Amino acid sequence: MQLIMKNIKFLSFFWFSVALILTIGCVEQIDLKTISFEDALVVEGTITNESKIHQIKLSRTFKLEESMPRTESNAIVEVIDDLQNTYGFQEERPGVYLSETEFKAIPTRQYQLKITTSNGRSYTSHSTEITPEAQINDVIAVKEFDSNGTEGISIQVSSFNSNGNARYYRYEFEETYKIIPPYWSPYDAVVISDVAPFEVDFVPRSKEEKVCYNTINSEGIIQTETNNLVEDRVSKFPVRFISKEDFIIRNRYSILVKQYVQSIEAYTFYNILNNLSGSESLFSQNQPGFFSGNLFSNENSEEKVIGFFEVASVSTKRIFVNPREIIETTPSYISKCNLIAPELVNASGNSPLIEAIKEGTLKFFQVNGGENSPVIPIPGGPYQMAPLPCSDCTVLGTNVMPDFWVE
Amino acid sequence: MKKIILLVACFCFHFTNAQIKEDPRVTLSFQNSSKIDVINLLEKETGFQFYFIKDWIDAKPISGNYSNTLLSTVLNTIFKDTFINFYISNDNKVILTQNNLIYDSLPDSFYKKKEEILTESKEVEPVFYEDNVVGKAKTFETIRIGKETKNNSKKFYTLSGYVKNTFTNEPIPNLALLVIGKNINAVTDIDGFYTLKLPPGINYIETKSLGIEAANKKVIIYSDGTLNFDLKETSETLKEVVVEASRDRNIKEVISGVTQIKVQEIKNIPLVLGERDILKVATTLPGIKKAGEGSSGYNVRGGKEDQNLILLDNAVLYNPSHFFGIFSALNPFTSGDVNIYKGSLPSEFGGRLSSVFDINTKDASTEKFAGEASIGPVTSNLTLEIPVVKNESSLLIGGRGTYSDWILKSLDDASIKDSKASFFDLVGKYKHKLNDNNTLEASGYYSNDEFSITSDSLYSYNNRLLSLRWNRNFNNKNNGSLILANSEYKFNIKYDGAIDTDFKLGYKINETELKLKMKYLHSDTHKFDYGISSKLYTVNPGTIKPIGTESIIEASNIAKETALESAIFIADTYKVDKKLLFNLGLRYSFYASLGEASQRKYQKGLPKNEGSVIDTLNFNKNEVIETYGGPEMRLSARYFLTPSLSVKGSFNSTYQYIHTLSNNTTVSPTDTWKLSDLNIKPQQANQVTLGFYKNFEDSFYELSLEGYYKKTKNTLDYKVGADLLLNNYIETEVLQGDGKAYGVEFLIKKTKGNLNGWLGYSYARSMVKLDSDFSEERVNNGKYFPSNYDKPHDVSLVTNYKLTKRYSFSANFTYQTGRPVTYPIGKYVYNGEERVLYSDRNKFRIPDYYRFDIGFNIEGNHRIKKFAHSFWNISVYNVLGRNNPYSVYFVTDKGEIKAYQSSIFSIPVPTITYNFKF
Repeated sequence: MQLIMKNIKFLSFFWFSVALILTIGCVEQIDLKTISFEDALVVEGTITNESKIHQIKLSRTFKLEESMPRTESNAIVEVIDDLQNTYGFQEERPGVYLSETEFKAIPTRQYQLKITTSNGRSYTSHSTEITPEAQINDVIAVKEFDSNGTEGISIQVSSFNSNGNARYYRYEFEETYKIIPPYWSPYDAVVISDVAPFEVDFVPRSKEEKVCYNTINSEGIIQTETNNLVEDRVSKFPVRFISKEDFIIRNRYSILVKQYVQSIEAYTFYNILNNLSGSESLFSQNQPGFFSGNLFSNENSEEKVIGFFEVASVSTKRIFVNPREIIETTPSYISKCNLIAPELVNASGNSPLIEAIKEGTLKFFQVNGGENSPVIPIPGGPYQMAPLPCSDCTVLGTNVMPDFWVE
Repeated sequence: MKKIILLVACFCFHFTNAQIKEDPRVTLSFQNSSKIDVINLLEKETGFQFYFIKDWIDAKPISGNYSNTLLSTVLNTIFKDTFINFYISNDNKVILTQNNLIYDSLPDSFYKKKEEILTESKEVEPVFYEDNVVGKAKTFETIRIGKETKNNSKKFYTLSGYVKNTFTNEPIPNLALLVIGKNINAVTDIDGFYTLKLPPGINYIETKSLGIEAANKKVIIYSDGTLNFDLKETSETLKEVVVEASRDRNIKEVISGVTQIKVQEIKNIPLVLGERDILKVATTLPGIKKAGEGSSGYNVRGGKEDQNLILLDNAVLYNPSHFFGIFSALNPFTSGDVNIYKGSLPSEFGGRLSSVFDINTKDASTEKFAGEASIGPVTSNLTLEIPVVKNESSLLIGGRGTYSDWILKSLDDASIKDSKASFFDLVGKYKHKLNDNNTLEASGYYSNDEFSITSDSLYSYNNRLLSLRWNRNFNNKNNGSLILANSEYKFNIKYDGAIDTDFKLGYKINETELKLKMKYLHSDTHKFDYGISSKLYTVNPGTIKPIGTESIIEASNIAKETALESAIFIADTYKVDKKLLFNLGLRYSFYASLGEASQRKYQKGLPKNEGSVIDTLNFNKNEVIETYGGPEMRLSARYFLTPSLSVKGSFNSTYQYIHTLSNNTTVSPTDTWKLSDLNIKPQQANQVTLGFYKNFEDSFYELSLEGYYKKTKNTLDYKVGADLLLNNYIETEVLQGDGKAYGVEFLIKKTKGNLNGWLGYSYARSMVKLDSDFSEERVNNGKYFPSNYDKPHDVSLVTNYKLTKRYSFSANFTYQTGRPVTYPIGKYVYNGEERVLYSDRNKFRIPDYYRFDIGFNIEGNHRIKKFAHSFWNISVYNVLGRNNPYSVYFVTDKGEIKAYQSSIFSIPVPTITYNFKF
């Protein structure tokens, strides 16, 4: 018996280390090929309780191997309410239709979206009522770690609806950040002579290139619901996580959070959309399949139409963040910024400096050292030059300060 | 517990009663002498040697006076009033035999135990039963029934008797008695009673039953008579039994679509990770499938995973798997046989549509302490058989556990490193024989699984089963069992995330059943099974509790569900004649959903959602909310076209009042069971089957061909993305649709010889239809589409080749059509992100599945005195390294669509296991 046990120990030790490694299933990426393709209309449209020009986007499905959707142009798009008020939409750019007038959705009224495509097919949405309102109470920016353990800033929303009838929420945001290039100079180098003898001069920069702003819209679907909670209270719901290495929090940053109160149908639609494209593990799978929103073809009930025409009440809130007040961070600039000093005349008689200025790839930063100069010289020509994005912020954003911007 | 049978001599009998050539004349006289003394006298006088057993000779004194009388005449006189027969051989020997009385006709009460002493003679070839080890040459004990008389004219004699367990003295039912080479056979009934019609002369009878030693008797029959068997329970001899036990069951049994699997039968089948797995073997038989490696449920004849009634010692096992379905929850060492009914369900079972897996824990020895252990790469297993009161009661305990946690931790892959997966299960069975007519059995089972896939959540689930069974024999015609079974299944999820949403979520289902089943052996033509059962369900569909004070999760508790499911059942096994046998079963099931509850009423003709609620009804405790029920027909018939070819047909209808809810295409441990209520109707199925069964070459080969067509109603399916957990209004998330399944199953088995195994093929389809007037309740435009587990072609080959008694080689091959998948047919951009447009549900298929496994088995040597008997199994699962996809799925990551294929065992998996018995 003793001997047996000894053998067993050895064997089991040996074998289970070999075998168990194999028990865990493997997941591998495979080529995605189109087996068959189905062309369908895709409708994106939300009208809200804000009085503004509303937007409806029309596009079509495309093959798995392709990278860009085809837009649906020259369609007739209109929103009609139950009092037969019609709001027409005009195509502003391919596939994007804007309402001809400013309007807002009014409670208790029913809205319907009607589309007639250029090939004569028509589509209608279900009649839809606006959802109840819920105000954003607070948007905060706090230090947090994401699920991978990365440190960063988490933008969290709190909202409350005392009526308790707004249970489903979807979020979008717009973030704006300030861009300050590291090697900006008040002067630009200009070419006086591009033939030998080469000559360069300096002029004050004519436009604002030191401080710019860039605004980006959120992508994807961010949702939450308060069904399981005592109150209809969204508490510190994280809508955005910014890694501390992210360039966008190098300087002052602002985020506008838009909270849409959704109907159960709209919430379900977006939720399914998200679930079906979200990450899945070996051990769980969603049942994929086609799911319709609230838009249907008038001619063929079996035709697939993708999209949900949403009439939602929206609440927005903007905050400004000085990232270094929250987190110790010095994210690197978006592009590599190495100063170089091209020679005015090189061995073969050309001027790399003049060429760079003419091509616009390098911008003047400072004189490359000299008597009494605090500048530590670098080998090369007379001037230290910086790559364009490191000196001119208009490459990365707009130099016009947005109206809402507060320092 | 070796029984050394007393042997007298070894002879080849030429039974000649009529003319005795060597019949010396004797002269002797005696007064009030014992017969033994007389025999001694005769020995002296004649010089003949007498062979007999002293016990046979009674002590009644005799007197006599003979002069020059033939020895035969003297013996005739001496044994006139006894059961002793004699034979005088050519070589001066006299053999006395104890023979049966001759009955000219059967007594009136054929089934009544005969009080008359029917004696048997035993002459045995000299074999010392030192051990029960298999593989010895068969020895036939010779039995003579009746004295041969000159006017034997009957073509057949009836041999009947009882088969009893030597130690417990209990009848052994379902034991097969086979007459070798004559295609005559019988099976003992519940009392262990059998009847055989034998042609006069020599008949070799073999008995076969699981867990009972095989007896081989040479019966020389010259009249109707009785032969009782006292047989020992055995585990070692099983292997021999196993191969043959079902041989005639195949063609004889009236119920079609039944599969029996014996643990010993699967001993040599190649293993995955060292686990012998009865249910995995079941999937190599036609009609029983899994959606894929790693799915924990079974699909029987196109049925859903929740449509199988899995009974372990009469209690329902809700989750039959461990470790994401890689192992089954059944301990292979404590399990006895498994009967899987996939066609016609016996009327005593109900509550599930597709099948019954009837699993029994084996009985421990009441004689001797024994044990069995196995060491595998992932699990270890220990089983002990403990006699409590000798020959009366015994206890079987078995346990199994993993050491996988350790391995998961040692893996480099970051995504797995944080995982945790472990399980254990415990089984116990106590059996007590109160007296000859009463037996008490108590069984318990507990299993626990824990796993985490992400670092912030921990899943656990467990099964707990308890059952009590009291078997009582009222008389020879009536017996019954009273069964009380309780089973509980629950799972928990503990979520410990970063923000204030930590929670603990739990689900629990508990059911208690009381069942009385009776058997009444009315006559040879009618045998009745009847009974009544009632089951109480309580379900806690979900509780959620916040963890910590920070958590804003509201503690909530979805209202408890209660229901009572009752049934009465009766079945008549009606033997019309030798060829035609019916089993006419009827079950009436009745279901009541009970309060306390609050249930929504929806507008008729509208999809069930928030908007169509017209009323909310409140019910008090135990108030009936809704009732369902109906008759269930369980009809089957068997007809012998030729003695070895039978045709069987059946019609079967079933109700199922409980449904699983799952977001996944395959069963996951977080699937919840939902009781039918006001808004969720019970599922229903009707199945017709027709099959042909043929045995060849003295049952060396068994062949069956079976077809079925099944229609189901109200099976649950889910709206895409349904939120099922913690949902008070499940009815708004599910769809109830129709289904149909049909197929043909072919199976050929070779049951004997050095090479044995089986080849199965099935062509089977399983379709679902979800139709409604409303688009939100319609899938694939309301047309029939293949179910997730529709795999039309399925081939399985299981073989075992015995090289020597100690070494055997085995191989499996499996091929299946890839299962249906919903494939992307395009992309689109929504909310700035690229997304996938999916095809109609299950329009495409993943690549076909095939796998080849090999195994090599080494039995330890059979030295008798060795302390432990060992068994090694070396196997390689998936030798070809086929990367069989389990699923194909699609993920949108940073606006890009990626396709992934997951597989469980994509490379060859070698394993070695060591088992030993003591």
